[in-house]
Amino acid sequence: MLGVILLSPLLGAVLNGFVVPKANKMLAHLLGVLAIGLSFGSALLLFQQFLAGGGEPSITYVFEWIQAGKLRVPVEFVVDRLSALLLLVVTGIGMLIHIYAGGYMREEKTTFRFFAYLNLFIFMMLLLILANNLLLMFVGWEGVGLCSYLLIGYWYSEGANADAGMKAFLTNRVGDFAFLIGIFMTYRLFGTLSFSELRAVVSSSASFDAYTLQQLTLITICFFGGACGKSAQLPLSIWLPDAMAGPTPVSALIHAATMVTAGIYMMTRLNFLFYLAPFTMEVVAWVGAGTALFAATIAAVQWDIKRVLAYSTVSQLGYMVLACGVGAFDAGVFHVLTHACFKALLFLGAGSVIVAMHHEQDMRKMGGLWRSLPITHALMLIGVLAIIGFPGLAGFFSKDEILWRAYLYPGSGHYLWAVGAFTALLTSFYMVRLLALTFYGKSRLDHHTGKHLHEISSIMWAPLIILALLSIGVGYLGVPGLLAIPGVKPHILADYLEPIFAVHQQVKETWAFAGAHHEPFWEALLMLVSVVLVFLGSSIALFSYARSSQPNLGPWPAPGARLYHLLSNKYWLDELYARFIYSPLGDIGEFLWRIFDIKIINGLLNGLGYTILGISGFASFKMSGSVHRHAIFMIAGMLALLYFLL
Amino acid sequence: MVPVEHYFVLALILFTIGVVGLVVRRHLIFVLMSIELMLNAVNLVFIAASRALGTLDGQIMVFFVITVAACEAAVGLAMVISLYRRYGTIATDFLRTLRG
Repeated sequence: MLGVILLSPLLGAVLNGFVVPKANKMLAHLLGVLAIGLSFGSALLLFQQFLAGGGEPSITYVFEWIQAGKLRVPVEFVVDRLSALLLLVVTGIGMLIHIYAGGYMREEKTTFRFFAYLNLFIFMMLLLILANNLLLMFVGWEGVGLCSYLLIGYWYSEGANADAGMKAFLTNRVGDFAFLIGIFMTYRLFGTLSFSELRAVVSSSASFDAYTLQQLTLITICFFGGACGKSAQLPLSIWLPDAMAGPTPVSALIHAATMVTAGIYMMTRLNFLFYLAPFTMEVVAWVGAGTALFAATIAAVQWDIKRVLAYSTVSQLGYMVLACGVGAFDAGVFHVLTHACFKALLFLGAGSVIVAMHHEQDMRKMGGLWRSLPITHALMLIGVLAIIGFPGLAGFFSKDEILWRAYLYPGSGHYLWAVGAFTALLTSFYMVRLLALTFYGKSRLDHHTGKHLHEISSIMWAPLIILALLSIGVGYLGVPGLLAIPGVKPHILADYLEPIFAVHQQVKETWAFAGAHHEPFWEALLMLVSVVLVFLGSSIALFSYARSSQPNLGPWPAPGARLYHLLSNKYWLDELYARFIYSPLGDIGEFLWRIFDIKIINGLLNGLGYTILGISGFASFKMSGSVHRHAIFMIAGMLALLYFLL
Repeated sequence: MVPVEHYFVLALILFTIGVVGLVVRRHLIFVLMSIELMLNAVNLVFIAASRALGTLDGQIMVFFVITVAACEAAVGLAMVISLYRRYGTIATDFLRTLRG
């Protein structure tokens, strides 16, 4: 079963990449969907068996990968409550996006390449999820990075796209480096890399000495660095918005639903280590909250429809990281789940708009589209309501859970909540702004595009309907205990995931607050506040951008102009990197190239060359070919001979 | 009777003129002539020595030298002509194909 789940996308990738006739687009699409469909079907079956078996984790040993001295790394796959759930998300959402991609990529010439990459990506992601040791996870981790690079640069003939791919890859490498260091340190401290063994070691030790705890803090900081790269957290968040250069299904699959959640997944897998490092957790929480706010403010001034969604992804990932940081890993996974659904829906909806608009992404040139694209509009509306946390939809439950758990965090919890709540306000503002600019108000289409505007084909909206239903339904997996909805058990997901977080007794006491759900009054009040904020943000956006009179599409008027400038330039983060990292590196490179390489190394070699050249030049002077010179030397030679002989 | 040393000095002067001409002159004909001059300077030494010593060896040698010089002049002039045909010049400045 596991073999089918894993290998069928790989087989799809190989067949699509090497075997299938290149011109046959239908076959490439069919094969891609079939491979992932098979994988999804098996995952469903596996999940059912897994639940029927009581949800006990099982480890499948395949073969010995590395054996060197004491280091033993087998290829082992673990199916537990976490990986089984994520399997469903990746293959399920992946399948819907594969189906959609067939419609989106209809006009492409090299669909076989596209589907080969997509399938390979799914394989790598599944490897990452199923791996039972850090090294195997790292293989999948790097694999998804590679596929991301390939897919962002899919339209590689344009330099900007290739650059964006490179940027994503290199930024990820920075995080990967930290991850690798973390792996090394883990091995040194525990002597094993396997998750199950690590877990056993940690939960069986009675207490931890200061050295171990300090090492653990370092290790978890390193792992979090890795997560920052993959999940686009603050210092390393710059690659994700640029990754929108890839085709829209790629943005939906990789940069919204799956790969970027790998960081959250990794931290959740290693939760038993993170729980032991309170300092790291504090850092994680603040980086998460900061990223959420940071990205949301930028999203509020973007004009490119995909960029808004990209920044909202960064922002939502910030929420998930915040959840991990305050010890609410289950809430983080819950948000991964809901976010995967509604963000895939939003991206694919945006993709439909882009296709309908003949690859126009600037929202200033849209407007009033709801009349011509009723289906897309309805689907996008559901997606937007889900992400802003409209009561009853998926985002409402998961975001509220995170905010409440952040509020419970002792010490800085209230501030974290405030940042999160303000971000929620911004989220509702920029998402409704997107909706208003695209679908409502007066049409700002140019004549040509307006004439050719067409609703998308059924192959594209069918998967979207499923995603829309999921965006509404998934939220009911985590209904808070406060809202007694008849027929729905509260905290289904949290209860389901509980065994994953069964941590050390000593830890349980320090983190007791994380699971507590007391103070119903405060919980209700905070929920009310966030709902009010959502309505406030939406109304501001509707008021500013959806009125039929000309909305303000330029920079903000004078009082906010400077702020607008700051935001639309993304806080000059890219420029900061350019100033303080790229250019010093460039200078060092320049120095090594111009001075060290050319002057010293080349100088040495060339010096040798020139010396020889000089000697031979002197010799060649004697062989000038001039008869006179020959004669002179001949005579000189004879005279010398005479002198010596007589 | 003229002492034999005078002949030797004259021969030396002639030979030196030949050497200098060989080196200084740019024209191949003059170069050949300089060589001829040097050969004749040597001949003069042979003859003078032969006469002074009262033997015939030197004179026999001179005949050899004259023969060789004739051959040399014939071959040399032929080469000069073919050089001129090939390069359009016989100035030695321009004939540098020996350059390594």
